[in-house]
Amino acid sequence: MSDKVLDVKNLTVRFETDRGTVYAVNGVDISLEAGETLGLVGETGAGKTTTALALLRLLDKSTARVESEAMLYCGEEMSEMSEDQMRKIRGRDMTMIFQDPMTALNPVIRIIDQISEIFRAHHNMSRHDAEEEALKTLEMVRIPRERAYEYPHQFSGGMKQRVIIAMALACSPKLLISDEPTTALDVTIQAQVLKLIKELQTNLNTSMIMITHDFGIVAETCDKVAVMYAGEIIESGSLESIFNNASHPYTVGLFHAVPSLTSNKEFLYQIDGLMPDPMIVHEGCSFADRCKYAKEACFNKRPENTCLNGKEHLVKCHIYSKDIPYVDVRKEVENA
Amino acid sequence: MYRYIVQRLIMIIPILILVSIAIFLLLSLSPNDPAVLILGANASDLELDMFRAQHGLDKPLHVQYLNYMLGLLHGDMGESYSTMQDVSYMIKIRIGNTMILCAGACVLITILGVLLGVSMALRQNSIYDNIARVCVLIFSAMPQFWLGMMLILLLAVQWGILPPQGFSTIRHMILPWICTAMGGITVVSRTTRSSMLEVVHQDYIRTARAKGLKEGYIVRKHALKNSLLPIITVLGRYVGASFGGAVVIENVFQINGIGNMMVTGLRQKDIPLVMGCVMISALLIAIVNLLTDIAYAYVDPRIKSQYEGKKKKKKSKAKEVSEA
Amino acid sequence: MNRREKKALIARSNKLEIWYRLRHNTSAIVGFVLFAIILLACFTAPLYLDYETDIIQIDAANKLQGPSKEHIFGTDEVGRDVLNRILWGGKTSITMGLLALGLAFLVGTILGTIAAYFGGVVDMIIMRLIDVVMAVPILILMITLAGVVPPTNVNLVLIIGVALVPQELRLVRAQVLQLIDKEYIEAVKIQGGSGFRIIVMHILPNAIGPIITTAMIDIASAITTISTLSFMGLGVQPPDPEWGSMLANGKLVIRDAWNISTFPGIALLLTVIALTLIGDGLRDALDPRMRR
Repeated sequence: MSDKVLDVKNLTVRFETDRGTVYAVNGVDISLEAGETLGLVGETGAGKTTTALALLRLLDKSTARVESEAMLYCGEEMSEMSEDQMRKIRGRDMTMIFQDPMTALNPVIRIIDQISEIFRAHHNMSRHDAEEEALKTLEMVRIPRERAYEYPHQFSGGMKQRVIIAMALACSPKLLISDEPTTALDVTIQAQVLKLIKELQTNLNTSMIMITHDFGIVAETCDKVAVMYAGEIIESGSLESIFNNASHPYTVGLFHAVPSLTSNKEFLYQIDGLMPDPMIVHEGCSFADRCKYAKEACFNKRPENTCLNGKEHLVKCHIYSKDIPYVDVRKEVENA
Repeated sequence: MYRYIVQRLIMIIPILILVSIAIFLLLSLSPNDPAVLILGANASDLELDMFRAQHGLDKPLHVQYLNYMLGLLHGDMGESYSTMQDVSYMIKIRIGNTMILCAGACVLITILGVLLGVSMALRQNSIYDNIARVCVLIFSAMPQFWLGMMLILLLAVQWGILPPQGFSTIRHMILPWICTAMGGITVVSRTTRSSMLEVVHQDYIRTARAKGLKEGYIVRKHALKNSLLPIITVLGRYVGASFGGAVVIENVFQINGIGNMMVTGLRQKDIPLVMGCVMISALLIAIVNLLTDIAYAYVDPRIKSQYEGKKKKKKSKAKEVSEA
Repeated sequence: MNRREKKALIARSNKLEIWYRLRHNTSAIVGFVLFAIILLACFTAPLYLDYETDIIQIDAANKLQGPSKEHIFGTDEVGRDVLNRILWGGKTSITMGLLALGLAFLVGTILGTIAAYFGGVVDMIIMRLIDVVMAVPILILMITLAGVVPPTNVNLVLIIGVALVPQELRLVRAQVLQLIDKEYIEAVKIQGGSGFRIIVMHILPNAIGPIITTAMIDIASAITTISTLSFMGLGVQPPDPEWGSMLANGKLVIRDAWNISTFPGIALLLTVIALTLIGDGLRDALDPRMRR
């Protein structure tokens, strides 16, 4: 088991607000081996970013309540670590690339200083050595030395994102969380950035969690996929099994909501309705309200994980746990 | 950057000229006659005419003004109607007290205001924060002259710890400093607190945490520097305002400064004296404003490149908003 | 549901939301209640107090008395009841403060909107004029103005009103400037909305929140200023009572009587605190993101 970089069981995150409790993440399991990439897919508001921030313990302690059965990082329980131990892991062993490069960099500190402070914090380097290391890191993401002494506002969006990648990879982390690293970028730069992340990740043998809502990015970068809906992972498995054998009605719907060159459909498939209010606790399946195949059981009973085609492919749906009559979801959706 | 500073220095001149015109007109056109006010109602017409001739009050307004400005160019601020002394001399012997009062207050405002604000923000919603906020609310609501009176009543009259008036020793200066600074301290600490709290929730602070930096380092290096912009704005404003507040405080504590002199001059409509005091305060404000703008550039590289970029600068939006 | 109904519903829910937040804001409620009590006390005073006998009549035999049953806050240096004079003076101070701020608010909003909307030369002229007014510390400006005009209450309101114009104007201008680039204003322009319509229907309603919030606090500073000027002998003239001028008298006898220097100040303090709390509460209610 010790080759697992990350092993999280039943992670829940609640936010206590003035208006009540928000159930943001409801029992998420994640396990990741060295060098592996997991794609965490879902709509906005599904709880992907919250999950990532909970892993790094970066949620605001005054409102967020994080609980889990197990949260093992390289075999060590993270929830028992002191704040200082956790701080030493963050930025060195476990890092994150943030969604919006425009706001993730400190506007009043030079690029070089924002990177070299990582080395100074984790490796006790002198100012000079840290700067040298920072320059090397910047070269890794192809930012020329002379620009390192500029401020973020003098950089383009793509360059800022490369700086953030450089920060995340500065100390050769064991686990990298990429939170929609390309959403805020131009399409032309997206491919570059993705390629860069993938390349560096392979070189450093880093495990990665790639948070995205884009199946194209998943197909390009991931080994495993987990689909999140309303704070739960409703389907997970290897890249192939999810892409070839999507089973949960939501996942199937997502795939068919993406335009494709090979299909000759006039309209894209659409999943009706919106994500449920995270302040309401569901007795049954959280997707039941929007599911075309939902039966009574779906509203009353919470679906458990069911294994499909071997033990790697898990799905949370009553159709497969045989609580309701079987429907061939893929066929139905294709004919819709 | 230097070019920008020089430009700003040059821009001070027309503003000072306009201020001088406005104040001069205001003083000259107001209904009271300085000759009557100074010589008394019993003075004969001949005496009044002589007084007016002596001070050039019989000449047309624009001539009076031009004469005054020509004198100013040579460093001559005119002669006081009431004391017959040079205004520049009268200001020179009193400005020391006023400057000590203001400078001490500014130091207090800066140090105490920022420290208090940061410490409140770091303990947001704690007991300390709540008590401090109530205190800040009460002290910010206190008019400074009344605060002065209450301090005199308690510390000087009741307990006899500190002298109630005068400005000769450090012991005399403590109460006036506190009074002049109090308004500024409360506003600066409040601004610092809210600015810090706003910054602490920014994405780049989360980035800094994700980098595994120490919390104290994040506050000092990442948060404070970003929250400085609004703090500098109010600091600049209160450094300027402390000069106005000094007028009142000098009255409360009977300090022989230019504020007290100006009010006396106003009562007698001593035009050169009042003009001199107002012009000094306007010059001071202009310098403080310039220093504020330079401080902006020092803190925020985006503003600095704006200063350097365009020849005719336009203030950044962010700054306009934070100033308002 | 047609468009107008929908709009009304949105507007109402928005107002309800603000009202909800305001009701749940303790400091705002404390502020409102406190200010209501102060207003009630001061403005009902003329119903049972007589100006000639209760406010200004000298009673040398009873001068400088401490608090007692007949005179809860004691008497002043010529034997007048301090409480009566505080109530009467409060009426004057609060009325003048409101009027002065109203003047500053009106002039500031109009000129500020014009400056921001038209920009260019108009903006430059207005802002340079403001620069001149702001080139002198505001208190020195007000003292100078008050020193040269006859000290009537109307003049006092005008002076303070004029002196407060620059800060109101700059605030309005900054707010409008911030909104004017927003896309929805562009959208109105594309639909052919006129300039005036854009200002009145779209920009001002959106800019009004922060402006009202600071207005509450500025009323407080206007009242403080009136008292400060009166304290310096440049404001409300004797024998009319006013908090600042009462304090000025109190200062002369501070060694003999503490009550004259204390109670008018407390009245002033409570008024300013009430207005500040209301302002803070309104800000939180109008812009919950700012809530800390």
